[in-house]
Amino acid sequence: MAFLLRRAAETLLVLLVLSVLVFLLTSMAPGDPAEEILRRGGIQPTAGSVAVLRAELGLDQPLPVRYVRWLSEVVRGDLGHSYVDRSPVTGEILARLPATLRLAGAAALVAGGLAVLASLRPRGLGGRVVTAVTVVVASVPPYIVGILLISVVAVGLRALPTGGDSGPGALVLPALTLGLAGAATLTRLLRADLAQALALPFVRLAAAKGLSARRAVTVHALRVAAPNAITAGGAVLADLVAGAVVVETLFSWPGVGQLAISAIRQRDVPVVQAYVLVIGAATVLLLALVDLCLAAADPRVRRR
Amino acid sequence: MRRRAAIVVPAMLLGMVLSGCGGSPEAQEDAGLLTLAAPRDLVAGPQDPYFTHQTLRVWEPLVNVDDKLRPVPALATSWESAEGGRRWTFTLREGVRFSDGTALNAEAVVANVQRFLRIAPRQSAFFSLDAGMEAAYGQLEEVRADGGRVTFELRRPVADLPGRLAGFFSMVQSPKAFAASGDFAANPVGTGPYTLARWVKGQQAELAANPHYYGAAPAYKKIVVKVIPDANARVAALRAGEVDGLIDKGALLSGQVAAVAADSRFRVVRSPSALTHYLTFNGSREPFSDPRLREAAELAIDRRTIAEKLLAGTAKPGAAFLSPVFGDLSDPGVAASYDPARARALVSAAGRPAAPVTILISSAETGQFPYTDVAEVLRAAFEQAGLPAKVTMAEATKAVMEAGDYDVFLSAYSVPNGDADYLFRRFLRSDAAWNVDRKLGYRSQEFDALVDQAATETGQAERRDLYRRLQRLLAADRPMIPLAYQDNPVVTTTGVGGVVQNAAYVVDLGKLTPSSG
Repeated sequence: MAFLLRRAAETLLVLLVLSVLVFLLTSMAPGDPAEEILRRGGIQPTAGSVAVLRAELGLDQPLPVRYVRWLSEVVRGDLGHSYVDRSPVTGEILARLPATLRLAGAAALVAGGLAVLASLRPRGLGGRVVTAVTVVVASVPPYIVGILLISVVAVGLRALPTGGDSGPGALVLPALTLGLAGAATLTRLLRADLAQALALPFVRLAAAKGLSARRAVTVHALRVAAPNAITAGGAVLADLVAGAVVVETLFSWPGVGQLAISAIRQRDVPVVQAYVLVIGAATVLLLALVDLCLAAADPRVRRR
Repeated sequence: MRRRAAIVVPAMLLGMVLSGCGGSPEAQEDAGLLTLAAPRDLVAGPQDPYFTHQTLRVWEPLVNVDDKLRPVPALATSWESAEGGRRWTFTLREGVRFSDGTALNAEAVVANVQRFLRIAPRQSAFFSLDAGMEAAYGQLEEVRADGGRVTFELRRPVADLPGRLAGFFSMVQSPKAFAASGDFAANPVGTGPYTLARWVKGQQAELAANPHYYGAAPAYKKIVVKVIPDANARVAALRAGEVDGLIDKGALLSGQVAAVAADSRFRVVRSPSALTHYLTFNGSREPFSDPRLREAAELAIDRRTIAEKLLAGTAKPGAAFLSPVFGDLSDPGVAASYDPARARALVSAAGRPAAPVTILISSAETGQFPYTDVAEVLRAAFEQAGLPAKVTMAEATKAVMEAGDYDVFLSAYSVPNGDADYLFRRFLRSDAAWNVDRKLGYRSQEFDALVDQAATETGQAERRDLYRRLQRLLAADRPMIPLAYQDNPVVTTTGVGGVVQNAAYVVDLGKLTPSSG
């Protein structure tokens, strides 16, 4: 119980620091958002209009006042209004979150599937192929992998859509691009752990007693390897959400990453703030969750 | 092992398929459907002053511009001025209905103008209700409906009101479409050949033919405009046959045009736009406070190479301050000479500056145009002429310029409509914010007087002569120099014909027709 309370307090503190950072980073960015907003299509705005808009957006207030106002609204679930089209940002993020989660989920399946495939029989044909592929892919930026997949599979073979979210097939290429990047990390971690676990005396005894190989792996070895796998999984998931920005842009995937990129281009500060805050908070909570899982799986953690 | 792979791999694929939501599979090519893609969402939603971009042809303005930025009839069939340009009366097209079936009348037009005035200044995803609004309605005393016509009473004469109203600033939608706040109550209700049938924000807009349209029914019953922000992804979708064309501002990057145009499946349409790349000089400090060095800088630049090589033929070398899209307002007598030898001589005569001149570019613009390369070419040209130079890229160029911490600034500007006065008045008049705040240091009483005279001159020929005199003055004084006039290339498959784009990037979707090759 004490452990839980301590972790909760730590998490809250981290979230508060995160909110200050997010606000400062986006508010201290050079340039005047009011002027940027009014300058559409290369038209110079008038000084009077810029002043009116600055006041309307509350940009003429001192920074601490703006921060407190922003945070009190965020706590109530109101992430402000887009500078560009004045729509509520919370709705915008919520509308796009499912697409990002679907992409990250599918990519996690790809990464996890490949990692397990490579780890179970590291010397088998499948294991070698997967290992080779993930090593090659890991050394190439996802953007290039995505472009290659688009030009070969979508443009050359016309087997799958080049982008957008127009049906089940559209998820395959972005999920592959994103999943391959995560697979490499996961494979390295899982393989080393599993090899170690499989070499442990009690697992070898189980195998000697005549347990099937599959049972030896799934019941005994994986349990020993679990703590590290949970940690690795958490880290890879956080990577996937971050990597989604590039992949979503490349494949016109309508998730929060694509929203963030277009918001950055248009200096839509409230949307950028909301994106960084939501993703940051999700990562913090995910890591806290990983900690809890570890504590459940390994009593030594709780006593630290 | 192999058996396990045979289970795992299909299971993974199945998982991916199952995790996809029930999107409709790609619609089969049917005769009445056209699919296009644009770099941005051409629908901005109910909080935007216009809801949709003019390109979608959901709404129409009173006045349009053609490819020479001349005002041409849209919902107004004719207009006349009285009292030396202090009163303008617009005659409306007969038999026009909004897409909800109600008739268009002068009262509806007046309600639209009054709404604009009430909510300005307001940001928009397309054209802010700001500088262009002021140019259009800044002198407005009263707007009223009289006998089916719309009359604007102005405080001061405006010679080219129709041109200033053209496009977004004279949009007409049914007054019933607006809520009390000035936002839209629900969907846009206009008079164009299409209605907005469905919109998925940031993904696509679906247009359906408007049954109440007064003109000839459009060839396509349905048009889908997808949003594909990434330039490479847009071209990939075109090559894969997923879209029939790419439209809107920046549809193709200048570097992509040659390859797409060389493909026999596609037809690239280049039309001049109102966008011009200008060099702005900091004339309030050394070295460019010296007119000889501004002249040297201009003579050192090979504009033809910049337009043809760096901008890959998507632009024409600049000469007169007003680009050729201004038709005969642009002065054909202004020549852009390239003379490096004379540039060197001028620098020697004026004295070589000790510190390098700063060429400033904005990081926000490098994604759209190859400004990094252009700035590098400018730097080399200046060095050749004996002017040491360096390139600075800044995120917030406004702050840098207002601090006077630059010598040359490269950027592209456009006009809100056919309004030539805007460029002179907003950028270079002695009291223009651009001139004063950005430290151009340009003060010319002759120039100021000519700008004011031209703005109120209603005689066509006289007005043209005044604008040409202004351009010759600027060619001699050089506070800013036009580097290149930018085209906007758009592309469709050869199966789509009737592609016409005006100078404000508006492709008339109502005129697109299926064509054979």
